[in-house]
Amino acid sequence: MNWLRPLLLGRLLRLAWLLPLATIGLFTLVSLAPIDPVQAYIGDLSALVGPEQRAAIAATWGLDQPAPERFLSWLGGAMTGDLGRSLTYGVPVAEVIERRLPASLALIGIAFVLSFVLGTALGIAAAASRGGRVDRLIRFVAVTLSVSPGFWIALLLIAVFAVGLGWLPACCAAPPGLTAAETGMGDRLRHLVLPVATLSLVGTAPLVLHTRQRLLGFLESPAALHLRAHGLSWRRVAFGAGLRHALGPALALHLAGAGELFGGSVLAETIFAWPGLGQATVRAATGADAPLLMGIGLATLLFVFCGNLLADVAAQLVDPRLRRTTA
Amino acid sequence: MTKLTAAVLCAAVFLSAPLSARPLVLAVGGEPDGGFDPLTGWGRYGNPLFQSTLLKRDADLTLEGDLATDWGLSEDGLIWSVTLREDARFSDGAPVTAEDVAFTFNTARDAGGLVDLQDFVAARATGPFTVDLELSAPRISFASRLATLGIVPAKSYGPGYAREPIGSGPFRMVEWQEGAQLVVEPNPYWHGGEVPFERVSFVFGSEDAGLALARTGVADVVAVPASQADAPPEGMRALHIETVDNRGLMFPMRPDTGERSAGGAPIGNDVTADRAIRVAVNQALDRDALVALALGGHGRPATGPADGLPWDNPDAGLAGNDPDAARATLEAAGWVDADGDGTREKDGLPARFAIVYPSSDSTRQALALGAAQQLRGIGITAEPAGRSWDEIGAMMHSNVVVFGWGAHDPSEVYNLYHGRFAAIDDFNPGYYDNPAVNAHLEAAESANDFAASLPHWRAAAWDGETGFGPRGDAAWAWMVNLEHSYWVSECLDMGPMQIHPHGHGFPITHDLPGWRWTCAE
Repeated sequence: MNWLRPLLLGRLLRLAWLLPLATIGLFTLVSLAPIDPVQAYIGDLSALVGPEQRAAIAATWGLDQPAPERFLSWLGGAMTGDLGRSLTYGVPVAEVIERRLPASLALIGIAFVLSFVLGTALGIAAAASRGGRVDRLIRFVAVTLSVSPGFWIALLLIAVFAVGLGWLPACCAAPPGLTAAETGMGDRLRHLVLPVATLSLVGTAPLVLHTRQRLLGFLESPAALHLRAHGLSWRRVAFGAGLRHALGPALALHLAGAGELFGGSVLAETIFAWPGLGQATVRAATGADAPLLMGIGLATLLFVFCGNLLADVAAQLVDPRLRRTTA
Repeated sequence: MTKLTAAVLCAAVFLSAPLSARPLVLAVGGEPDGGFDPLTGWGRYGNPLFQSTLLKRDADLTLEGDLATDWGLSEDGLIWSVTLREDARFSDGAPVTAEDVAFTFNTARDAGGLVDLQDFVAARATGPFTVDLELSAPRISFASRLATLGIVPAKSYGPGYAREPIGSGPFRMVEWQEGAQLVVEPNPYWHGGEVPFERVSFVFGSEDAGLALARTGVADVVAVPASQADAPPEGMRALHIETVDNRGLMFPMRPDTGERSAGGAPIGNDVTADRAIRVAVNQALDRDALVALALGGHGRPATGPADGLPWDNPDAGLAGNDPDAARATLEAAGWVDADGDGTREKDGLPARFAIVYPSSDSTRQALALGAAQQLRGIGITAEPAGRSWDEIGAMMHSNVVVFGWGAHDPSEVYNLYHGRFAAIDDFNPGYYDNPAVNAHLEAAESANDFAASLPHWRAAAWDGETGFGPRGDAAWAWMVNLEHSYWVSECLDMGPMQIHPHGHGFPITHDLPGWRWTCAE
């Protein structure tokens, strides 16, 4: 494992310059956004909240300070672990993230595993019967999925499984009218199905196509031909040696794409009224809630960073050749 | 996979034994992100669920007492004296006293939230159940604050209140799953009578989620877009509620002298500065056609900012859909089409202006296009132009803009038409300023009781000689009032309904404690 230490050190170094850069970039973007947080907060009440009260709201939020000063005071707080108060939710940012992260992680985590298993398996199956009916079917589905917008898939799933067949709930994390304590495990699982399906379907398509391509490359290699010459069927070659060959890059691709999964969850959470971080992101963005956006931005950054780091570690674990070159 | 199936089956069996009485499920949006704290803005529609207010508005929008049994104004209009009922209790059993009321108003004043207590100085308890609210200037529309600000308990109010509210309203919180749903049950201490629901849930989330809940038979009241409203799922009926959620054309009143606002935006428009143009637009617009075109028939023509509310003056309007009268108005003022290009001119100035609308709003777009089409018939060339709100902010002092307002509070009329509010935020962007109208608005605010203020509000629109309405200065050409559409369970009787304000969704819960199930279980 002597390759692990330099890798981790290198990445930590990268994080050390990435974090400040990202915070400055994020803050600049949020400050430049053409949304007035006070106006967004007032919304429909426009006619009933006068100029003095608007000024009072801005003062309560510290918006009467110039932007660089706001950034510095935020930075000072962030250094000591205080990410500030969310304007939209009126509670500390850390509390919003802490309260909403579990719901999002459940969604993303299950979708991550599911789309990986499904994507790799379908990709290998397609490669194993290359040119055959199964291959064409899988490719057709994968290409269709990869060009389908996520919200469309979600609406389709709702129309078929919730409204049409009535098998699954159309939204939310729990049945209406029941408290968290009254909601059984089975209910929670049922409510997970459609959002997870949406999220994993969106993540599956690139994996299928990538795995298939990768495996086809292997199946045409001398090593595969050798195994084939010894009498193994294409299927055995594909799911045996081929699986190991394709798994590493597939896992790397999937982990590196964790950020996209996070983005997809914003959409899925909005459509399915899922009370996670994605929903909070939308609120924060439309309300120009700078502290919350910064907090979520940093959390996402760490999430994607960890995904990429894991992808690198996984790639090195699976492929000995990489280890040699790094060391 | 079999394990999952088994789990799902177990859940289905488990679920088939529901709670005894039928719970009410609403999907009407309105989740307050910041929680249920009236002092920072919760309850703006006058029904804070958990809290009760001093006054409330009945179905005709007349003020009646809720916590207050008696209220009155001092001679100078500066002191509101309120007497409280003595049997009101918070949901923890503690009595509601004058101290709580004083605490609520004084704390809201300093909270820096959405409660705008302009001109409010301080509240003082003058006895266990009597309280004085002092203003710095007479302001009759302060009554609206009495009808919207929920009273909180002075003793237990603290930082966590917004998420665990205690109040003297009809409901108490069972659980709030943020971003998902709110579950409430009747407050046994409520002074208003029995609530016939063991439990009420508000499901939050997107409009699509609400529609899906209705189609799967889970929700009983759902806010729906007008375009889909007429196809309710089985067991539900479509309900269209009249509103003052209005849309109208705001006219810049000043001529263009090259003057600029404090923010650098140009002020004035030579065409719309001519009263004849504004009156002619009001006469020419076929508002019924606009309702059909832009709202799919779900709305009613608008002639003022508060159609049908107690402070509205129906006499201030002009009959619309009368192009002949509009043409006569224009010709009498010297607007004639001398060069035959279809656009009238006066002293070389063509009767041409843009109608700006926010490009994100398809209803306002349709209204702008429809109005422009109708005005072409009388020789006015109006050019619809979609812009972002940001751009509109810089254009609204010199261009006609499609705006929307509508509140259960006459101070909105004051804000829209008083010269003092010219170019303050979105109020009065056209710099409308008529001393006679200003005087009527001030007289209304200085009235000694709400009913006495009504004639003054009406006079501001039209007093027989002048006013902001179409017969007077025609400062706006109001076009339509939207209808808010809902799907409602056929088994639910919702009683008489108010005319709703701007804001589709939560206002429908105003009389929730009075709703009844009509079907047998």
